[in-house]
Amino acid sequence: MKRIAQTIVFWGVMLALWEMAVAYFKVQSYLMPPPSAIFRAAWEVHPQMLADTWVTTVEVLTGFVAAVAGGLVIGVVISYSAFARRTLYPLVTALQSMPKIALAPLMIVWFGYGFASKLASTFLFAFFPVVVATMGGLASVARNLDEHFRALGASPWDTFWRLYLPAALPAFADGLKIAMPLAVIGAIVGEFIGSEEGLGHLIVFASAAARTDVMFAAILMVTLLAVVLYWVIERLARFVWWRGINV
Amino acid sequence: MSTVTKTVTQLHATRLAGEPGPAGEATAAAAQPQGAMIEVRHIDKTFAGKQRNASPIRILDDVSLSIADREFVSILGASGCGKSTLLRIVAGLVPHDGGEVRVAGQRVSRPVPEIGVVFQTSNMLPWLTVRQNLLLGTRLRKIPKETSEPRVSALLEMLGLAQFADHHPHELSGGMRQRASIGQILALEPKVLLMDEPFGALDALTRDNLNVELLRIWQEHRQTVLLVTHSIEEAVFLSDRVIVMSARPGKIEQEVVIDLPRPRSPQTIKQHPRYAGYIAQLSQLMGVY
Repeated sequence: MKRIAQTIVFWGVMLALWEMAVAYFKVQSYLMPPPSAIFRAAWEVHPQMLADTWVTTVEVLTGFVAAVAGGLVIGVVISYSAFARRTLYPLVTALQSMPKIALAPLMIVWFGYGFASKLASTFLFAFFPVVVATMGGLASVARNLDEHFRALGASPWDTFWRLYLPAALPAFADGLKIAMPLAVIGAIVGEFIGSEEGLGHLIVFASAAARTDVMFAAILMVTLLAVVLYWVIERLARFVWWRGINV
Repeated sequence: MSTVTKTVTQLHATRLAGEPGPAGEATAAAAQPQGAMIEVRHIDKTFAGKQRNASPIRILDDVSLSIADREFVSILGASGCGKSTLLRIVAGLVPHDGGEVRVAGQRVSRPVPEIGVVFQTSNMLPWLTVRQNLLLGTRLRKIPKETSEPRVSALLEMLGLAQFADHHPHELSGGMRQRASIGQILALEPKVLLMDEPFGALDALTRDNLNVELLRIWQEHRQTVLLVTHSIEEAVFLSDRVIVMSARPGKIEQEVVIDLPRPRSPQTIKQHPRYAGYIAQLSQLMGVY
């Protein structure tokens, strides 16, 4: 209880200092609105902002799930197939090195202003860390365990399902932790380039309308969304607790 | 006294004709009796080396050995003599160049169900409980649950692991983990146990205790055992026969029949009049004085 109180008091003091500093130095509200103005703006636009939050959340989650599924499959295929390693892997590496943000306008051209282009953009941002994490996890399986499974006469399928996949899970979970914030970035970037709804759209709209207080409210909302989603992944990752345990 | 005599008689009965009787006599590995459980004939092995210019290394050179059903044989050699490679070839894990390996009459070119291999590392899967780890091999070998589950419960009891059955391996000591990995192999009831320095990573005290336990298990089930070790005392304590290998290329130098009564215990064995002789003889063969 005392620890929570410390956190609350600290941030309360910080907000109060911010409020007083803005008033004391007479900072223009469009440059740096005081916290009170941000909360007022948030209340004012909250029906719109909640609808936008929902839109962005759906984009992030669908794109993330697609990226995780696709990244897992591609990671496994590249790990197991020498052919895929020679053909697919260079493409994956090249795409990963490319700034994904440069592709976002192309996604709008291809998939339009709606949901599909945001899904594509989110997917692009979150996909590669999952591929790399899956490959790293599969490559981390100890040689002695592989030999043990061979000695036990395990089929390739059993070896994958009972050894390689569970052994790769901790690294895979690390990949998800990297991919989740990137998925949020992907959705917001997609909305920046061209959209009619979503928190990214709200930020761009507030900027055009010189409503810095609304912009701050939207940014806080994006941050809150990213933190909550990351926390969920963090919780789920605790189910794979056998990271670094060699027995 | 009579039980000891009986065990010795049994021991001689399981031995093959043509083997020497007198204690402490070393013989060259030449005799190839028929109908052995493990039959290795003229095995060669050369590692090519990964680098293009690396000269190939001869690991094993014309190795032949024959192990009877229910016999406990140790391969003794310095590290790098190819004894682990030989064991892996017998297990069907590593291909060999020349010659032939037969286990229970069958040619071995890949792992077969008759063979169970215990490695130096305990090879438990950290995400499974001890019981699930013991069941793992039976699942992989498609042994029905009705058979495997009671068998594993009995093994856990026998190995003193019943209390830890539902714990994860990292909660166990190194010795208990190694016991569990032996249990994992015993759950498959293999005819042949191949062991590659199974207690090599453990401290001396734990190692001695587990050797006693290994003998107890073997006396009950009487699998054919081929054990690879670099410990002379361990080899003498456990084996019916010790095969000494020399290195580069790995060759069978000599073999020594350990004519000591069973059941053996660390106390009785060390007091036996022939014990010191075996140790001295093997030390000399290994080049340790």
